[in-house]
Amino acid sequence: MKKTYYLFNPGRLSRKDNTLKFTPVDEDGKEGQPRYLPVENVNDLYVFGSLDANSALYNFLGKQSIAVHFFDYYEHYTGSFMPKDYLLAGKMQIAQTQYYLSAKKRMPLARSFVRGAALNMLKNLQYYNRREKDLNQTIGQIEALMLQIPEYNKIDQLMGLEGNIRQAYYQAFDTIINDFEMGTRTKQPPQNEVNTLISFGNMMCYTACLGQIYHTQLNPTISFLHEPGYRRYSLALDLAEIFKPLLVDRTIFSLLNKRQVKSSDFRHELNRCVLKDSARKEFVKAFEEKLSDTIQHRSLGRSVSYKHLIKLECYKLTKHLLGAEGYVPFKAWW
Amino acid sequence: MYVILVYDIGKRRVTKMLKHCRKYLNWIQNSVFEGEISKARLTEMLDQAYEIMDDEEDSIIVFKSKNKEWLEKEILGFERQSTSNML
Repeated sequence: MKKTYYLFNPGRLSRKDNTLKFTPVDEDGKEGQPRYLPVENVNDLYVFGSLDANSALYNFLGKQSIAVHFFDYYEHYTGSFMPKDYLLAGKMQIAQTQYYLSAKKRMPLARSFVRGAALNMLKNLQYYNRREKDLNQTIGQIEALMLQIPEYNKIDQLMGLEGNIRQAYYQAFDTIINDFEMGTRTKQPPQNEVNTLISFGNMMCYTACLGQIYHTQLNPTISFLHEPGYRRYSLALDLAEIFKPLLVDRTIFSLLNKRQVKSSDFRHELNRCVLKDSARKEFVKAFEEKLSDTIQHRSLGRSVSYKHLIKLECYKLTKHLLGAEGYVPFKAWW
Repeated sequence: MYVILVYDIGKRRVTKMLKHCRKYLNWIQNSVFEGEISKARLTEMLDQAYEIMDDEEDSIIVFKSKNKEWLEKEILGFERQSTSNML
Protein backbone atom coordinates (compact mmCIF):
# COMPACT_ATOMS: atom_id res chain seq x y z
CA MET A 1 0.00 0.00 0.00
CA LYS A 2 1.25 3.47 -0.84
CA LYS A 3 2.30 5.63 2.06
CA THR A 4 1.49 9.11 3.23
CA TYR A 5 4.48 11.29 3.98
CA TYR A 6 4.36 14.06 6.57
CA LEU A 7 6.74 16.97 6.18
CA PHE A 8 7.23 18.73 9.50
CA ASN A 9 10.63 20.28 8.92
CA PRO A 10 11.01 23.27 6.64
CA GLY A 11 12.89 22.41 3.50
CA ARG A 12 12.97 22.09 -0.23
CA LEU A 13 11.20 19.39 -2.17
CA SER A 14 12.41 18.84 -5.69
CA ARG A 15 12.26 16.47 -8.58
CA LYS A 16 15.52 14.60 -8.92
CA ASP A 17 16.19 11.63 -11.19
CA ASN A 18 12.44 11.11 -11.60
CA THR A 19 11.87 10.74 -7.92
CA LEU A 20 11.38 13.13 -5.00
CA LYS A 21 14.20 14.69 -3.04
CA PHE A 22 13.60 16.45 0.24
CA THR A 23 16.35 18.69 1.58
CA PRO A 24 15.68 19.94 5.11
CA VAL A 25 16.79 23.49 5.84
CA ASP A 26 17.47 24.65 9.40
CA GLU A 27 16.87 28.09 10.91
CA ASP A 28 20.23 29.44 9.70
CA GLY A 29 19.39 28.41 6.15
CA LYS A 30 21.87 25.55 6.24
CA GLU A 31 20.88 22.49 4.24
CA GLY A 32 20.72 19.12 5.93
CA GLN A 33 21.21 15.66 4.51
CA PRO A 34 18.75 15.11 1.65
CA ARG A 35 16.27 12.29 1.80
CA TYR A 36 14.92 10.61 -1.30
CA LEU A 37 11.28 9.56 -1.18
CA PRO A 38 10.43 6.58 -3.38
CA VAL A 39 7.92 8.23 -5.71
CA GLU A 40 6.24 4.95 -6.65
CA ASN A 41 5.29 4.45 -3.03
CA VAL A 42 4.00 7.91 -2.21
CA ASN A 43 0.26 8.30 -1.88
CA ASP A 44 0.09 11.91 -0.74
CA LEU A 45 2.06 14.53 1.15
CA TYR A 46 1.01 16.50 4.24
CA VAL A 47 2.96 19.71 4.57
CA PHE A 48 3.13 21.22 8.06
CA GLY A 49 6.44 23.00 7.83
CA SER A 50 7.24 25.56 5.19
CA LEU A 51 8.06 24.05 1.87
CA ASP A 52 10.05 25.33 -1.05
CA ALA A 53 9.08 23.88 -4.39
CA ASN A 54 8.84 24.86 -8.04
CA SER A 55 6.37 24.16 -10.81
CA ALA A 56 8.51 21.37 -12.25
CA LEU A 57 7.89 19.48 -9.04
CA TYR A 58 4.14 20.08 -9.15
CA ASN A 59 4.01 18.97 -12.78
CA PHE A 60 5.77 15.81 -11.75
CA LEU A 61 3.48 15.25 -8.76
CA GLY A 62 0.47 15.84 -10.98
CA LYS A 63 1.65 13.19 -13.43
CA GLN A 64 2.21 10.74 -10.60
CA SER A 65 -1.24 11.62 -9.11
CA ILE A 66 0.20 12.63 -5.76
CA ALA A 67 -1.88 15.16 -3.81
CA VAL A 68 -0.25 17.68 -1.49
CA HIS A 69 -2.18 19.02 1.51
CA PHE A 70 -1.10 22.27 3.16
CA PHE A 71 -1.57 23.44 6.74
CA ASP A 72 -0.82 26.82 8.24
CA TYR A 73 1.14 27.66 11.38
CA TYR A 74 -1.85 26.85 13.57
CA GLU A 75 -2.39 23.53 11.82
CA HIS A 76 -5.50 24.70 10.02
CA TYR A 77 -6.12 23.07 6.71
CA THR A 78 -5.46 25.71 4.12
CA GLY A 79 -5.80 23.79 0.88
CA SER A 80 -4.61 21.04 -1.38
CA PHE A 81 -2.78 20.62 -4.59
CA MET A 82 -4.91 18.06 -6.37
CA PRO A 83 -3.70 16.32 -9.51
CA LYS A 84 -6.20 16.47 -12.33
CA ASP A 85 -9.17 14.15 -11.97
CA TYR A 86 -8.38 10.86 -13.52
CA LEU A 87 -11.68 9.08 -12.99
CA LEU A 88 -13.99 11.42 -14.83
CA ALA A 89 -17.55 10.24 -15.17
CA GLY A 90 -20.22 12.54 -16.46
CA LYS A 91 -22.98 10.12 -15.56
CA MET A 92 -21.87 10.11 -11.94
CA GLN A 93 -21.69 13.89 -11.87
CA ILE A 94 -25.22 14.24 -13.20
CA ALA A 95 -26.60 11.68 -10.76
CA GLN A 96 -24.88 13.42 -7.86
CA THR A 97 -26.27 16.79 -8.86
CA GLN A 98 -29.78 15.40 -9.29
CA TYR A 99 -29.68 13.98 -5.79
CA TYR A 100 -28.57 17.31 -4.46
CA LEU A 101 -31.26 19.27 -6.29
CA SER A 102 -34.24 17.21 -5.30
CA ALA A 103 -35.10 17.55 -1.62
CA LYS A 104 -36.87 14.21 -1.73
CA LYS A 105 -33.70 12.49 -2.82
CA ARG A 106 -31.32 14.60 -0.77
CA MET A 107 -32.96 14.25 2.65
CA PRO A 108 -32.57 10.46 3.02
CA LEU A 109 -28.85 10.78 2.29
CA ALA A 110 -28.42 13.65 4.72
CA ARG A 111 -30.31 11.69 7.37
CA SER A 112 -28.05 8.70 6.76
CA PHE A 113 -24.97 10.76 7.48
CA VAL A 114 -26.42 12.07 10.73
CA ARG A 115 -27.58 8.63 11.77
CA GLY A 116 -24.23 7.04 10.90
CA ALA A 117 -22.34 9.65 12.90
CA ALA A 118 -24.65 9.24 15.91
CA LEU A 119 -24.41 5.44 15.83
CA ASN A 120 -20.63 5.56 15.86
CA MET A 121 -20.67 8.10 18.70
CA LEU A 122 -22.88 5.72 20.66
CA LYS A 123 -20.39 2.92 20.03
CA ASN A 124 -17.65 4.99 21.63
CA LEU A 125 -19.82 5.83 24.62
CA GLN A 126 -20.93 2.24 25.09
CA TYR A 127 -17.31 1.11 25.02
CA TYR A 128 -16.40 3.40 27.90
CA ASN A 129 -19.66 2.67 29.66
CA ARG A 130 -18.53 -0.93 29.93
CA ARG A 131 -15.29 0.31 31.46
CA GLU A 132 -16.49 1.84 34.68
CA LYS A 133 -17.39 5.25 33.29
CA ASP A 134 -21.02 6.03 33.85
CA LEU A 135 -22.32 7.38 30.58
CA ASN A 136 -25.86 5.99 30.65
CA GLN A 137 -27.39 9.43 30.79
CA THR A 138 -25.62 10.70 27.67
CA ILE A 139 -26.38 7.48 25.82
CA GLY A 140 -30.06 7.88 26.64
CA GLN A 141 -29.98 11.50 25.58
CA ILE A 142 -28.43 10.71 22.19
CA GLU A 143 -30.79 7.80 21.60
CA ALA A 144 -33.73 10.10 22.27
CA LEU A 145 -32.38 12.69 19.85
CA MET A 146 -31.85 10.04 17.19
CA LEU A 147 -35.55 9.20 17.24
CA GLN A 148 -36.22 12.67 15.86
CA ILE A 149 -34.03 12.18 12.77
CA PRO A 150 -36.84 10.94 10.53
CA GLU A 151 -39.15 13.78 11.60
CA TYR A 152 -37.14 16.58 10.08
CA ASN A 153 -37.62 17.56 6.48
CA LYS A 154 -35.33 20.55 6.16
CA ILE A 155 -31.56 20.45 5.97
CA ASP A 156 -30.97 23.26 8.45
CA GLN A 157 -33.21 21.59 11.03
CA LEU A 158 -31.29 18.38 10.54
CA MET A 159 -27.99 20.21 10.95
CA GLY A 160 -29.34 21.67 14.17
CA LEU A 161 -30.25 18.22 15.43
CA GLU A 162 -26.80 17.00 14.48
CA GLY A 163 -25.38 19.85 16.53
CA ASN A 164 -27.47 18.83 19.55
CA ILE A 165 -26.31 15.23 19.29
CA ARG A 166 -22.71 16.30 19.07
CA GLN A 167 -23.11 18.65 22.01
CA ALA A 168 -24.45 15.85 24.19
CA TYR A 169 -21.62 13.64 22.98
CA TYR A 170 -18.92 16.17 23.77
CA GLN A 171 -20.27 16.53 27.29
CA ALA A 172 -19.27 12.93 27.89
CA PHE A 173 -15.64 13.69 27.05
CA ASP A 174 -14.97 15.02 30.53
CA THR A 175 -15.99 11.65 31.97
CA ILE A 176 -14.00 9.63 29.48
CA ILE A 177 -10.75 11.58 29.57
CA ASN A 178 -8.90 11.28 32.85
CA ASP A 179 -6.59 14.23 33.45
CA PHE A 180 -7.96 16.91 31.17
CA GLU A 181 -11.04 19.09 31.25
CA MET A 182 -12.77 19.79 27.99
CA GLY A 183 -15.65 21.97 29.09
CA THR A 184 -17.55 23.16 26.05
CA ARG A 185 -16.47 22.75 22.48
CA THR A 186 -14.65 25.82 21.27
CA LYS A 187 -13.24 26.30 17.83
CA GLN A 188 -11.76 29.12 15.82
CA PRO A 189 -9.66 29.22 17.95
CA PRO A 190 -9.84 26.21 20.29
CA GLN A 191 -9.37 27.29 23.89
CA ASN A 192 -7.99 24.26 25.67
CA GLU A 193 -6.02 21.07 25.11
CA VAL A 194 -8.87 18.70 24.28
CA ASN A 195 -10.50 21.19 21.93
CA THR A 196 -7.20 21.70 20.14
CA LEU A 197 -6.82 17.98 19.63
CA ILE A 198 -10.39 17.66 18.34
CA SER A 199 -9.88 20.45 15.84
CA PHE A 200 -6.59 19.05 14.65
CA GLY A 201 -8.01 15.53 14.42
CA ASN A 202 -11.14 16.57 12.57
CA MET A 203 -9.01 18.35 10.04
CA MET A 204 -6.88 15.23 9.55
CA CYS A 205 -10.04 13.14 9.12
CA TYR A 206 -11.45 15.59 6.60
CA THR A 207 -8.28 15.45 4.52
CA ALA A 208 -8.19 11.65 4.70
CA CYS A 209 -11.76 11.53 3.37
CA LEU A 210 -10.92 13.96 0.60
CA GLY A 211 -7.96 11.79 -0.37
CA GLN A 212 -10.22 8.76 -0.71
CA ILE A 213 -12.99 10.58 -2.60
CA TYR A 214 -10.36 11.56 -5.13
CA HIS A 215 -9.88 7.89 -5.97
CA THR A 216 -13.54 7.42 -6.81
CA GLN A 217 -15.76 8.99 -9.41
CA LEU A 218 -17.58 11.20 -6.94
CA ASN A 219 -17.31 14.94 -7.20
CA PRO A 220 -15.96 16.19 -3.86
CA THR A 221 -17.69 19.58 -4.13
CA ILE A 222 -21.30 18.35 -4.29
CA SER A 223 -22.48 17.34 -0.84
CA PHE A 224 -25.76 16.37 0.76
CA LEU A 225 -25.74 17.14 4.47
CA HIS A 226 -23.46 20.16 4.36
CA GLU A 227 -24.37 22.90 1.95
CA PRO A 228 -22.01 22.90 -1.03
CA GLY A 229 -20.22 26.20 -0.99
CA TYR A 230 -17.31 27.77 -2.71
CA ARG A 231 -13.72 26.74 -2.45
CA ARG A 232 -14.25 23.76 -0.30
CA TYR A 233 -14.72 20.07 -0.74
CA SER A 234 -17.94 19.68 1.21
CA LEU A 235 -18.57 16.03 0.36
CA ALA A 236 -15.49 15.27 2.44
CA LEU A 237 -17.24 17.00 5.36
CA ASP A 238 -20.27 14.72 4.95
CA LEU A 239 -18.15 11.58 4.96
CA ALA A 240 -15.95 12.81 7.80
CA GLU A 241 -19.05 12.99 10.05
CA ILE A 242 -19.26 9.22 10.04
CA PHE A 243 -15.60 8.56 10.63
CA LYS A 244 -14.75 11.29 13.14
CA PRO A 245 -15.90 9.27 16.19
CA LEU A 246 -13.96 6.20 15.07
CA LEU A 247 -10.76 7.76 13.84
CA VAL A 248 -10.35 11.01 15.70
CA ASP A 249 -12.10 10.66 19.04
CA ARG A 250 -10.74 7.20 19.76
CA THR A 251 -7.23 8.36 18.97
CA ILE A 252 -7.63 11.32 21.32
CA PHE A 253 -8.98 9.16 24.16
CA SER A 254 -6.12 6.71 23.96
CA LEU A 255 -3.42 9.36 23.52
CA LEU A 256 -4.58 11.29 26.57
CA ASN A 257 -5.49 8.39 28.81
CA LYS A 258 -2.24 6.58 28.10
CA ARG A 259 -0.42 9.86 28.72
CA GLN A 260 1.26 9.79 25.32
CA VAL A 261 0.30 13.44 25.07
CA LYS A 262 0.77 15.50 28.23
CA SER A 263 -0.15 19.00 29.23
CA SER A 264 3.46 20.05 28.59
CA ASP A 265 2.84 19.23 24.92
CA PHE A 266 0.62 22.29 24.53
CA ARG A 267 1.38 25.96 24.38
CA HIS A 268 -1.10 28.54 25.58
CA GLU A 269 -1.08 31.70 23.55
CA LEU A 270 -3.30 34.71 23.64
CA ASN A 271 -6.83 33.37 23.49
CA ARG A 272 -5.89 30.00 22.06
CA CYS A 273 -4.18 26.72 22.74
CA VAL A 274 -1.66 25.30 20.26
CA LEU A 275 -0.07 21.88 19.84
CA LYS A 276 3.69 21.74 20.18
CA ASP A 277 5.64 19.88 17.51
CA SER A 278 6.09 16.86 19.76
CA ALA A 279 2.35 16.41 20.30
CA ARG A 280 1.57 17.08 16.66
CA LYS A 281 3.94 14.30 15.61
CA GLU A 282 2.57 11.98 18.27
CA PHE A 283 -0.98 12.59 17.09
CA VAL A 284 -0.17 12.17 13.41
CA LYS A 285 1.67 8.93 14.19
CA ALA A 286 -1.25 7.53 16.18
CA PHE A 287 -3.74 8.67 13.53
CA GLU A 288 -1.68 7.08 10.77
CA GLU A 289 -1.55 3.82 12.74
CA LYS A 290 -5.30 3.96 13.17
CA LEU A 291 -5.83 4.44 9.43
CA SER A 292 -3.72 1.41 8.60
CA ASP A 293 -5.27 -0.71 11.35
CA THR A 294 -7.30 -3.53 9.87
CA ILE A 295 -10.58 -5.06 10.85
CA GLN A 296 -12.29 -8.18 9.59
CA HIS A 297 -15.01 -6.86 7.30
CA ARG A 298 -18.27 -8.66 7.78
CA SER A 299 -19.77 -8.68 4.31
CA LEU A 300 -16.50 -8.69 2.37
CA GLY A 301 -15.10 -11.49 4.50
CA ARG A 302 -11.56 -10.18 4.48
CA SER A 303 -9.55 -7.73 6.52
CA VAL A 304 -9.81 -4.11 5.54
CA SER A 305 -7.94 -1.05 6.80
CA TYR A 306 -9.79 1.96 8.19
CA LYS A 307 -8.49 3.96 5.27
CA HIS A 308 -9.99 1.52 2.81
CA LEU A 309 -13.21 1.63 4.81
CA ILE A 310 -13.56 5.29 3.84
CA LYS A 311 -13.21 4.36 0.20
CA LEU A 312 -15.78 1.59 0.57
CA GLU A 313 -18.12 4.22 1.94
CA CYS A 314 -17.60 6.23 -1.24
CA TYR A 315 -18.41 3.16 -3.31
CA LYS A 316 -21.64 2.64 -1.38
CA LEU A 317 -22.56 6.24 -2.03
CA THR A 318 -21.80 5.77 -5.72
CA LYS A 319 -24.10 2.76 -5.84
CA HIS A 320 -26.85 4.71 -4.14
CA LEU A 321 -26.55 7.60 -6.58
CA LEU A 322 -26.68 5.31 -9.57
CA GLY A 323 -29.72 3.60 -8.12
CA ALA A 324 -28.08 0.22 -7.71
CA GLU A 325 -28.28 -0.18 -3.96
CA GLY A 326 -29.58 1.95 -1.09
CA TYR A 327 -26.99 3.70 1.05
CA VAL A 328 -26.64 2.45 4.61
CA PRO A 329 -24.07 4.39 6.62
CA PHE A 330 -21.13 2.53 8.05
CA LYS A 331 -21.62 1.50 11.64
CA ALA A 332 -18.89 0.06 13.80
CA TRP A 333 -19.82 -3.42 14.96
CA TRP A 334 -17.16 -3.87 17.59
CA MET B 1 5.32 -7.09 1.18
CA TYR B 2 8.41 -5.72 2.85
CA VAL B 3 11.74 -6.14 1.09
CA ILE B 4 15.43 -5.55 1.55
CA LEU B 5 17.32 -5.18 -1.68
CA VAL B 6 21.09 -5.33 -2.01
CA TYR B 7 23.06 -5.07 -5.18
CA ASP B 8 26.58 -5.55 -6.39
CA ILE B 9 26.93 -3.64 -9.62
CA GLY B 10 29.90 -2.70 -11.76
CA LYS B 11 31.20 0.83 -11.18
CA ARG B 12 30.01 2.18 -14.52
CA ARG B 13 26.40 1.14 -14.00
CA VAL B 14 26.05 1.67 -10.28
CA THR B 15 24.71 5.25 -10.36
CA LYS B 16 22.06 4.27 -12.84
CA MET B 17 20.96 1.46 -10.57
CA LEU B 18 20.95 3.74 -7.52
CA LYS B 19 18.66 6.23 -9.27
CA HIS B 20 16.39 3.48 -10.46
CA CYS B 21 16.01 1.89 -7.02
CA ARG B 22 15.39 5.22 -5.29
CA LYS B 23 12.11 5.51 -7.18
CA TYR B 24 10.73 2.42 -5.49
CA LEU B 25 12.48 1.91 -2.15
CA ASN B 26 14.16 3.81 0.65
CA TRP B 27 17.92 4.01 0.43
CA ILE B 28 19.47 3.09 3.78
CA GLN B 29 23.11 2.39 3.06
CA ASN B 30 25.44 2.04 0.08
CA SER B 31 23.94 -0.64 -2.19
CA VAL B 32 21.15 -1.37 0.31
CA PHE B 33 17.46 -0.44 0.10
CA GLU B 34 14.41 -1.35 2.08
CA GLY B 35 10.72 -0.62 1.99
CA GLU B 36 7.14 -1.66 1.51
CA ILE B 37 6.35 -2.59 -2.08
CA SER B 38 3.62 -4.51 -3.84
CA LYS B 39 4.34 -7.70 -5.74
CA ALA B 40 3.50 -6.14 -9.08
CA ARG B 41 5.61 -3.08 -8.47
CA LEU B 42 8.56 -5.21 -7.40
CA THR B 43 8.34 -7.21 -10.62
CA GLU B 44 8.19 -4.00 -12.61
CA MET B 45 11.20 -2.65 -10.76
CA LEU B 46 13.30 -5.81 -11.16
CA ASP B 47 12.44 -6.05 -14.86
CA GLN B 48 13.82 -2.60 -15.43
CA ALA B 49 16.79 -3.27 -13.18
CA TYR B 50 17.62 -6.27 -15.30
CA GLU B 51 17.92 -3.98 -18.30
CA ILE B 52 20.56 -1.93 -16.50
CA MET B 53 22.56 -4.92 -15.25
CA ASP B 54 25.26 -6.88 -16.97
CA ASP B 55 24.25 -10.38 -15.95
CA GLU B 56 27.76 -11.74 -16.31
CA GLU B 57 29.10 -9.45 -13.60
CA ASP B 58 26.30 -7.87 -11.58
CA SER B 59 23.82 -9.25 -9.14
CA ILE B 60 20.83 -8.15 -7.12
CA ILE B 61 19.56 -9.99 -4.07
CA VAL B 62 16.08 -9.34 -2.71
CA PHE B 63 15.04 -10.50 0.75
CA LYS B 64 11.29 -10.63 1.00
CA SER B 65 9.08 -10.68 4.02
CA LYS B 66 5.29 -10.81 4.13
CA ASN B 67 5.13 -8.14 6.76
CA LYS B 68 7.48 -5.63 8.30
CA GLU B 69 6.61 -7.08 11.70
CA TRP B 70 8.50 -10.24 10.84
CA LEU B 71 11.68 -8.29 10.51
CA GLU B 72 13.81 -7.10 13.36
CA LYS B 73 16.21 -4.33 12.50
CA GLU B 74 19.26 -3.57 14.56
CA ILE B 75 21.61 -0.75 13.80
CA LEU B 76 25.15 -0.57 15.13
CA GLY B 77 26.90 2.74 14.89
CA PHE B 78 25.56 5.62 12.84
CA GLU B 79 22.21 5.32 11.03
CA ARG B 80 22.88 6.64 7.55
CA GLN B 81 19.23 7.25 6.75
CA SER B 82 15.93 6.43 8.37
CA THR B 83 12.91 5.13 6.50
CA SER B 84 10.31 7.00 8.51
CA ASN B 85 7.48 8.80 6.72
CA MET B 86 7.67 11.82 9.04
CA LEU B 87 10.23 14.29 7.84
